Amino acid sequence: MECDRCSRPAVHFAAYSGGHLCERHLRRSVEKRVRRRIRSDGLIGRDATPENPETWLIGLSGGKDSVVLTQVLHETFADDPRIRLVCLTIHEGIEGYRDASLDASIELVEKLEIEHERLSYAEEFDLEMDDVARDDPEGMAPCAYCGVFRRNLLERGARKYDADKLLTGHNLDDETQTALMNLFEGDVRQVAKHFDASLGGFDERGESETFVPRAKPLRDVPEKEVALYAHLRDLPVHMAECPHASEAYRGEIKDLLLGLEENHPGTRHSILSGYEDLAALAAREYRRDGEEGADSNDAADDSHDGLGECERCGAATTREVCRKCQLVESVHAAD
Amino acid sequence: MGVVVEVVGGETREIGIETPTAADLLRAVDVSPHEATVLAEGRPVPDDAVIDADRVQVLRLVTGG
Repeated sequence: MECDRCSRPAVHFAAYSGGHLCERHLRRSVEKRVRRRIRSDGLIGRDATPENPETWLIGLSGGKDSVVLTQVLHETFADDPRIRLVCLTIHEGIEGYRDASLDASIELVEKLEIEHERLSYAEEFDLEMDDVARDDPEGMAPCAYCGVFRRNLLERGARKYDADKLLTGHNLDDETQTALMNLFEGDVRQVAKHFDASLGGFDERGESETFVPRAKPLRDVPEKEVALYAHLRDLPVHMAECPHASEAYRGEIKDLLLGLEENHPGTRHSILSGYEDLAALAAREYRRDGEEGADSNDAADDSHDGLGECERCGAATTREVCRKCQLVESVHAAD
Repeated sequence: MGVVVEVVGGETREIGIETPTAADLLRAVDVSPHEATVLAEGRPVPDDAVIDADRVQVLRLVTGG
């Protein structure tokens, strides 16, 4: 079976497009989609210049997605003086898992000569996820704690390393799962927040001075193609599953989506495309509501969405004490 | 005669499907075609390709993130 674009043997069939691609053209296709997304999202700020470059912080776990994102971004921007790339790896304290993925991260950044920073739950919060999963003081899935801690450290890292943007390796499957979860939960405000936080083009988002803006340039590429890209290029990837992984609902959504994709190729693409349009409408509507509210009330709160600062750590929160500090306190109380 | 399918890091089974595609073999060993690829002589094979080899490997591509 030959590649549609040349006579080389095909290595991949994309049922959603009907295309057969050889190694070279699969690589080019993945890279092209990432670069097209960077352009369409307006990721390179208009103010970025060689004298005043933008810093993009890449969340590098050592898994296939973040490794592929780092590789493609490096090859795209290594010679572009407007962009400075820095990688951040977060160590959650999961024995036998994160150590191996940290090794993969180090191998990659040393090969590419990219700046690499590390933050750990142990140093920042004085806890490790293995202990949290064992003690489970809040009766929650380990991912529920870990997600709060990780988001906090990504944000903290972005500020610490003076990042203008925070980039993560979410692929098409990841984003479509999140889209369906938000819709199935009926959480339209969350859909709007998703748009303003990471999904919308930079010209279309509501401005936030509270959070470092995020972007997901891999989100047009199905997970299998990201993995094939890493395999074909022999990139240093850590391929194990987190021993505490337990997002049962996301797993159900994932199975549902893969079943739909089997029977109706292209389902993931059409869901995410429609979701992005809906999210843009929702975000605009909530912003308009906010502006109208401000017009009718002179004492309008200038902290968007009622956000203030955590009285303990200063992080943005709608409560007196942020969720991360609450969970850290709960974990330590159970020690 | 069937095709011997070795799941890398897992079991090896003989699958007796007439002129199977790569996707048929993946499903036969309970792996989603969206999460793995068939390797013939070490090279990935498209899911819709008919397999004429006696022995292939299945490489899981999707675990963790």
